[in-house]
Amino acid sequence: MPAVTDEELVRKSKEDDERAFGELVSRYESKVYSLALRMVRNPEDAEDVLQDTFLRAYRGIKSFQGASTFSTWIYRITANSALMRLRKKQLPTVSIDNADERETPVNIADWSPTPDEQLLNQELQHEMEEAIRSLPAEFQQVFVLRDIEEMSNAEVAEILDLSVAAVKSRLHRARLKVRNRLAGYFSESAKPKRRAMGVH
Amino acid sequence: MLTCKEVLDSLSDYLDADMKEELISEVKRHIGSCSDCRAEFDTLTMTLKLYKHEHAEPTVMPVGCHDRLVKVLELEKLRSKGAPPPKMV
Ligand SMILES: [Zn+2]
Repeated sequence: MPAVTDEELVRKSKEDDERAFGELVSRYESKVYSLALRMVRNPEDAEDVLQDTFLRAYRGIKSFQGASTFSTWIYRITANSALMRLRKKQLPTVSIDNADERETPVNIADWSPTPDEQLLNQELQHEMEEAIRSLPAEFQQVFVLRDIEEMSNAEVAEILDLSVAAVKSRLHRARLKVRNRLAGYFSESAKPKRRAMGVH
Repeated sequence: MLTCKEVLDSLSDYLDADMKEELISEVKRHIGSCSDCRAEFDTLTMTLKLYKHEHAEPTVMPVGCHDRLVKVLELEKLRSKGAPPPKMV
């Protein structure tokens, strides 16, 4: 079915065209699964989220107004489903709303990045995983959508039904939290190497 | 002149290049001369690099995942059409 738009498939799905809905499933299932896996962080839960997402989409397609694109709509359902699952299993988290994130970077002042070496450090990756897991679910979501899926602030805001300002604030605090947890690793491999500053 | 706090608060926007040009150059200048803020910036940059690197591989759906999804949706179709729920195997 080449060159059929999502809109067309949505329209047909609303008219009980099962094949059209099946095509939407084929188009989005791996993306939804990937998003789910990155949010819930284990394959069993990700598959549950995947099934839950398309079940809800199937039940809700007739009330889908098309105010957003189908992809935004389906990712929103995915994010909500993942969030509910994360909340059920939420690890004890560090308070992120009240705490002052400005922890003085005394021990990392001379640190500068040495990417290749760092990237190979499994222990560091494990610590990163733990840091992300211990973020409150709402912050994990923003982090995953922005920094992994590389969606724009506006897209994330639309998917999570937040203001752009709220997305930016959550993202900033989530990044700092993760970074703070890794600070010890950074200082250990500190090397007095300056590099040009740039915007990435 | 920007204070350290202002710089730290704007680091994410700076990383994302999501700010006005003149503010970008002010932050850049501050980071160039303040080792604390530079460390903040470097470690934050590294954190994101690590994170992106770790997740760079595309995820693949497990074997049978697609078929199980199709089955779930088929059951839902039957259910919504008023058929009695089929026995679970
Ligand atoms: Zn400073």
